[in-house]
Amino acid sequence: MTVQELARPTPTPTEPPAPVRKPRRPRTLGAAAVVAIIGVFAFGPVYWVLVTALTPTHDVFRFPPHFIPDRITFEHFGSIFESPRLLKYLLNSMIVSLITAVLTVIVSAYTGYSFAKFRYRGRRSLMYLVLASQMFPQALLLITLYLVFSQVGLLNSYLALILSFTTFTLPLCVWMLKGFFDTIPDELIEAAKVDGAGQGAIIHRILLPVSLPGLVATGLFAFIRGWNDFIFALTLAGPDKQTLPPGLVNTYLGEFETAWPELMAASLVVSLPVVIGFTVLQRYLVAGLTSGAVKG
Amino acid sequence: MNVRLTRRSALGLFGLSTLAACAPSTSAPTPAGTEGLKDDGVKEFPLTSWSYNEAVTKQPMTDAIAKYTAANAGVKITTPSYPYNDYLNQLLLQVQGGQLAGAVQLDVAWLATLAATGKLVDLKSVATGLDYAPAALALGQSGGAQYGLPWTFAGIGLISNQELLTKAGVTSTPKTVAEFEAALTAVKGLGGGIVPWAGMTKVDQLKDIIPWMWEFGSPIVQDGKIVIGDDGSVEALTWYKKLYDQKLIAPDVNRVDARALMSQGKTAFYEDAIGGKATVTKSSPDKDLGTKMVPVARPVKNAGDKPRHLAWGQVIAVMNGSGAAAAANFAKTVTTEQGYTIDWFTKTGLPPTTNAGLADSAVKNDKFATDFTAQIGANSSASPFWIYPQFSQMEKVLAEEVQSILIGKKSPKDALSSARDRMNALIK
Repeated sequence: MTVQELARPTPTPTEPPAPVRKPRRPRTLGAAAVVAIIGVFAFGPVYWVLVTALTPTHDVFRFPPHFIPDRITFEHFGSIFESPRLLKYLLNSMIVSLITAVLTVIVSAYTGYSFAKFRYRGRRSLMYLVLASQMFPQALLLITLYLVFSQVGLLNSYLALILSFTTFTLPLCVWMLKGFFDTIPDELIEAAKVDGAGQGAIIHRILLPVSLPGLVATGLFAFIRGWNDFIFALTLAGPDKQTLPPGLVNTYLGEFETAWPELMAASLVVSLPVVIGFTVLQRYLVAGLTSGAVKG
Repeated sequence: MNVRLTRRSALGLFGLSTLAACAPSTSAPTPAGTEGLKDDGVKEFPLTSWSYNEAVTKQPMTDAIAKYTAANAGVKITTPSYPYNDYLNQLLLQVQGGQLAGAVQLDVAWLATLAATGKLVDLKSVATGLDYAPAALALGQSGGAQYGLPWTFAGIGLISNQELLTKAGVTSTPKTVAEFEAALTAVKGLGGGIVPWAGMTKVDQLKDIIPWMWEFGSPIVQDGKIVIGDDGSVEALTWYKKLYDQKLIAPDVNRVDARALMSQGKTAFYEDAIGGKATVTKSSPDKDLGTKMVPVARPVKNAGDKPRHLAWGQVIAVMNGSGAAAAANFAKTVTTEQGYTIDWFTKTGLPPTTNAGLADSAVKNDKFATDFTAQIGANSSASPFWIYPQFSQMEKVLAEEVQSILIGKKSPKDALSSARDRMNALIK
């Protein structure tokens, strides 16, 4: 026993033990610093988008840049609604992304179920083939798709975008849902069979309802893929069916000029529906993405 | 013969067939001709452009189309448009898919690439006898054919901020490289974060080094071979690197950055096409900046040398096929008739390409346009790479090697020799 330990007053049995002070401050500070750094990376660009959207055009390129604008203006937001084309792009994005999401969920649910719960010849090869299709450079496939769609008269249509987005989204979504279905115990299916349920009833009345978080996560993933795509939408959709990413570039990025404040304002406004949708569905997204991660 | 198809071989077969599907067609392009100009009676055609999207040019283009359709009964023009930066790729894809028809707005740099597809109409019969300035008309030619009717023509050249130069004590326009260097040093002395020359140092715009190589005596391309790495080009890059090291030009600057610097009064010189002025003045807090911006001829190596500039311009080309004759008539009208060309100039600031247009009072009274045309446009030449369909890859190679010089990774001689070899391999 050290001298210091001997010198420390021994608590009497009747006294409650003195609380042991932990050196919490450094850990709290460290954690706060890490959170702050992550916060800067996560929200810094969004903040800069907001600042640029609110800054008068003449001040946008001021040197040195001002992180808090001296003057703010809402004129750039006003200019969005003067352009009916942007609302059209927004509508196109909604149509294409929603149908892509629904189609992807339907196809990948059945495919994922098949991979997860059935054992048949060629199953493993098929699974890897599906995954391998994700490895092709998309720009290469764009050329092929353009020529094929041109031959069959699908260019400049929603269908061209929906088919191409679904094609690229499916491999990952199939694997996501396979992982999700793997976590559902086979006993559940066996019990349903014992109760006389057929395959249709098993998947539609038992498996899909309990897989809702996985289906929502998959749908959101497919939706984002459709919502964010630029090059396929620019190439395959034509002027009337263009979605937001090429639409915004078309509207605000020119040979000589990029209308940054208007572009930022438009980006903020058109991202609102997606932000709201994600906020509403985020608990499903988190549950869906994590539940397939650990098999059990 | 029995063939056992295993899973592995089936997968391999699938991979091979996919790659085969992606391979380009080996059929030779159809030769260009004027047969597409026979009037097929079709009055409806698309005008594919990037200008129809842009704030400055959308309304003038709409006006021109409305005026033309009002004057030509039965004509209907649709207006597909793509962003400038993706434009060429989109056109090439559409040509491959047989989707591109009618009139097509083109940057002069892209003409040879599109002509190589064999789908453009030779407009020589249309252009003959019209009032185009010879230099402008030449920019619409490729391989001896007239594939484009020139719509606007100038060059890319130096634009100065006279107020800054006066503040720095530079009272006369630098005419030689030595005078230019002295002017930059004087501007640097002003301090305050001013970049004396917003020369291009970012990889996407390093092709701007081409006219400097000309000034230092390099032909760049000679007898169909790239000769970069010769004494002239090495001397040009050695000089450019010296300015970079002396902080007379700044790192990481492209055209957008240079315009921003000029708009904020933070640079004395930058290089741009004539249309860039509107962007700079629009985003500037200085309402009088436009009057302070003065185009200057590129300083030459030795007094008396001819200043050289890279040409810049736009043409209207016509695709072989349905409606080609109607599209060619539209192209001829908007590029030559005074009512269209002067209206286009007054609304966009882009100069016409006809002698009559250039002599019009609207152009003559615009001092910036007149100076730009006299100082820069008059001495512009096409990039020696534009005749090659691979020009984009060649410019990329050059830019990469120039960047390696600026960051000190390679000597000018080594980098430019490497650029020469890589570019020659591309056109072999």
